[in-house]
Amino acid sequence: MTDQRTPKVSRRQVLAGAAAVAGASALGLGPAHGQASKRIVLSTWGGDYAKLLTRHISNPVLGPRGWEVVNDEAQVVQRKAKVVAEKRLPKGSSDVQALTATDIAELTQVDVLEKLDHGKLKNAKNLMKIFSIADSPHFSPHIFSGKVVLYNPKLIPTAPKGIDALWDPKNQGKVGVVDIQHVYTTMAAALVAGGKTGDFDKAKKALLDLKKLKPRIYPSNEALAQALQTEEVGLCIMWKARAVQWQNAGANVLTVAPKEGIITYVSGFGIPKNAPNRDGAYAFLDAAMEASAQEGFAVDMGYNPVVGNAKVAPELKKRIGFGPEEEKLFVNPDLAFLATHAAEVKDFWDKEFKAA
Amino acid sequence: MSVSVERLGPLAAREQRGGRRSTAALLVGPATLFVTIGLLLPIAILFRYSLNAFVPGKLMVEALTIENYVLFVTDPYYVAAFTRTLRVAGIVTLLALVLGFPLAYALARTQSRFKNLLVMLVVLPLFVGNAVRAAGWMTLLGNRGFLNVALQWAGITAEPIRFMYTEFAVIVGILAVNLPYVVLTLQSVFEGIDRAVEDAAFSLGAGPLTMVRRVLLPLALPGVAAGAIFCFILTMNAYATPVLLGGPQFTMMGPLVYVQFAAKSNWPFGAAVSFILMTATLVLTAAANLLVQRRYRT
Repeated sequence: MTDQRTPKVSRRQVLAGAAAVAGASALGLGPAHGQASKRIVLSTWGGDYAKLLTRHISNPVLGPRGWEVVNDEAQVVQRKAKVVAEKRLPKGSSDVQALTATDIAELTQVDVLEKLDHGKLKNAKNLMKIFSIADSPHFSPHIFSGKVVLYNPKLIPTAPKGIDALWDPKNQGKVGVVDIQHVYTTMAAALVAGGKTGDFDKAKKALLDLKKLKPRIYPSNEALAQALQTEEVGLCIMWKARAVQWQNAGANVLTVAPKEGIITYVSGFGIPKNAPNRDGAYAFLDAAMEASAQEGFAVDMGYNPVVGNAKVAPELKKRIGFGPEEEKLFVNPDLAFLATHAAEVKDFWDKEFKAA
Repeated sequence: MSVSVERLGPLAAREQRGGRRSTAALLVGPATLFVTIGLLLPIAILFRYSLNAFVPGKLMVEALTIENYVLFVTDPYYVAAFTRTLRVAGIVTLLALVLGFPLAYALARTQSRFKNLLVMLVVLPLFVGNAVRAAGWMTLLGNRGFLNVALQWAGITAEPIRFMYTEFAVIVGILAVNLPYVVLTLQSVFEGIDRAVEDAAFSLGAGPLTMVRRVLLPLALPGVAAGAIFCFILTMNAYATPVLLGGPQFTMMGPLVYVQFAAKSNWPFGAAVSFILMTATLVLTAAANLLVQRRYRT
């Protein structure tokens, strides 16, 4: 009896077994990662966004289905560099990457993202047409907002109609621009010049015209918010979600859907080609499009659902969302242009637009 | 317990020297290995990257070209960033020495029982991170900050003066960070200088300024050089303060490296800029060191 319960194992056998397990793990042969444990490694921004992903997707949707989501939190720049550096490895370190549409464009160019299989995303059928995965097959959208014109009615008594208000000489000295928003500001300039978001030549000319009016350039959205609060400036373009946050914080600002078009800001997910747990990655992408998860982000973060079946309270929808007429103004960034010209856009911004 | 070499035979002496050598190797080995793996290897990789080519959308393409270095020295934007960095580093170092010298001397010579507390006060700014310290400067130097409000309240200015996002703000911000390092370096040097030599100078009729110029400064010169080099290197490589207090239109080399890697994904050029920054810092530091050593010997 005793022998059956506790089989005799020699010291050498134990050591050999341990070495075999360690060797197999080192070679990536074991079931340690992903599949067997149903663990999904989600690489994402930290802070509130990561907390909300856990609160609205990982715990309530994926938890009951037996998935365990582990967050790997870092800034997108580091995460993108890691995905590229891991390109040659058979197995990467993440299953899902949280990215924006413009990040996706860059990573698609270096061929590190999986082309998504629509059949594995049952909720994709609910996506609003403008965010269709078919248009960007490596990107599964999650939440969105749009660039609107934001103004302080005390400093700008007449409500602006479009982005071109920033170019109006009578608003000189009241215009603020955010440095880290250089890509979207360049796209907005292209729209003002009558082009599409990828018309860089038109954008360059328009930006040089704007430069003549000496807009104040702030390093971050937060710095601009402070300048709006102190009425150093009173006119800019900004994400509607941010405007809502600033209004909540007491800033005297209103927003207008610009006539030139509302450039969308879409945050979502991609799957690295060498994701260890592909099934888990698809499960996460699908869960992120669940109506309940989308509604949670609208309430807690002020960003809009990308699926039509999510229900947002009318009062909230009025504040964060866009009406049917405004939705017609949606313009997506030209991802193909950005993938190959991002460095050129930044160069122009630094050397021409910002230069004294 | 050591046995003199003369008393040993040639073989035993060689054995003792060999033993010393192996002990030395054992002591130096771990640090050397750490530096090799943690510093020299990444530097070598960085240098190799700097010779690669950048193709938009592909991040980095294997090549063997010096075009990144050529681009840096031929583009006025990058040259301006480099000269601006040198200028700021020079000014900050000079100011740190001018302000730090008397403070360090006073700290070294004080007989106060609160001496340790005074040293702690000097080091206090280093207790908070760069970003937090910069945030403090922002509230002080902003358009509606303490300084502008005070100037307007006193009737000295009618409109707010733009302090933030200027070279002035960056110099003040970096100086506040580096000054404690310079003061502590100088203080330790002054502590080692015998007070009697100063008294001797005074007794021979030297005034305070002459004493400082002819006695104190030459004796403290190695320490002054060490403090200055320390301050210069820190300023050349400053990142957080130029970004937070200099604003979007003020570019120094540290932030420039970051932008190449992070915003443009141009790793080869970012590596080249890093290498240029590192080389310039090393060359200038070595040159200053040599200059001081030569002067010190004479």
